[in-house]
Amino acid sequence: MRRQLALCLPALILWAVTSELNHAISGLRVYAFFGALYLTPLVLPHERGGRLAAALAGLLCDATTPVLFGTHLFLFLAGHALLRRVRDRVPRDDTLGRVIVTLLANLALFLTFSFTQIHRSPAPAAVWPRLMGDLACSQILLAIVTPWYFALHARCLELARVHPRSEFA
Amino acid sequence: MPSPRLDSAKPFLTLGIVAILWFVVPAGVKTFTRASFFELTAPISLSTSYARDLGDYWSLRLHSNHELIEAGRDMARLNASFELAVQQNTEMLAEIERLEQLLRLPSFKDYRYEHARVARRDFSGWWQRIVIRKGRNFGIPEGAPVVFTGGVVGRVTEVYATTAVVELISSPNVRLAGVIEGDSRPISFQGGVNPTFAPATGVVELIPLDIFAGPKATKRLVTSGLGGVFPPGLTLGTVTSVELSSDGLFKTGTVRLDERLGSLVEVTVLVPLIQN
Repeated sequence: MRRQLALCLPALILWAVTSELNHAISGLRVYAFFGALYLTPLVLPHERGGRLAAALAGLLCDATTPVLFGTHLFLFLAGHALLRRVRDRVPRDDTLGRVIVTLLANLALFLTFSFTQIHRSPAPAAVWPRLMGDLACSQILLAIVTPWYFALHARCLELARVHPRSEFA
Repeated sequence: MPSPRLDSAKPFLTLGIVAILWFVVPAGVKTFTRASFFELTAPISLSTSYARDLGDYWSLRLHSNHELIEAGRDMARLNASFELAVQQNTEMLAEIERLEQLLRLPSFKDYRYEHARVARRDFSGWWQRIVIRKGRNFGIPEGAPVVFTGGVVGRVTEVYATTAVVELISSPNVRLAGVIEGDSRPISFQGGVNPTFAPATGVVELIPLDIFAGPKATKRLVTSGLGGVFPPGLTLGTVTSVELSSDGLFKTGTVRLDERLGSLVEVTVLVPLIQN
């Protein structure tokens, strides 16, 4: 229980920070999407589990956005499963490796999510330039916040006196 | 000990099971879960909004008395002109009432004005919405129109205990009937194209062929009053271009929306006095 709380709390903080950031930059008509950050800190360190935290983060995002309830849930669970599958083949012990994996995961999540939402627009082709602008902005900001968020995650686990479980435990 | 192959397939197996379970979960449970998660985030949105207001308050305290006196003087001048407008408005309302009685016309819908601060703006390429700091606690109903000094903001789509979500007219989900100012024929308006670093735009369809507009001869688009949600005559935006639609029967066009929609801090919810 304590472990799950320690995994979920950073997601709530991330949601709050992202919301505040998007509120601040709304006048510029840009949007920051940090979907991958809900997943990579749960998968890349030597840990098992994190599926429940990913699912709860998905439900949190679903509740605060006008999408079909369950969209983020499945996207995050699928992302979690894929990341777990490939994590042994990617560099994940150093910060740079984690940032790169997070950026790639975010790119994939953003594009997948865009394809699920684009049909609602009256002019889908005209929306892509805006989405590409948002994606560029998201990736730049993501590269900046990823090391902080990984550190926050590790600190939360440390404060909750939860030791990261080894995958071989 | 499970085989490595089974172990690697386990996350996908779990995903499949969750998907199956998700489809059989009743809609009521999903609605309840959604509302619960939203309410979980409401205190965060509200507290950050109040903190922002407090920051603004302290920054305003730094203004000098001289600036305050100047602002007060400007405000007094504005008040004087608004006083005059209020008197004219009262006179016109009495005239409308008299004509309605004389011609036995149905009266216009009456509204209560509920001013609300914006707690969170959420403007992406996929959706455009704001969260306001008033909800069921102030009797905000779902579907109520929301306005600001520049015209229409949008419509209340979700109402929670202390907050409500407003979908902006720039959102692709919002579609409503408008008219070109001075014309009575309704046309269809839909939001949706929100370019980066530029004001949001919308799309108008079913424009009669005799209406022309261009960047140098723009036309004001206002609400038609049809549908009963928005009162007539509220500004939606400015029609900047029209062109013949593919069927040749009507025209389609682009509407430039108010730039201030991107930085809203306070809005007014029009709460119908007689609710259905």
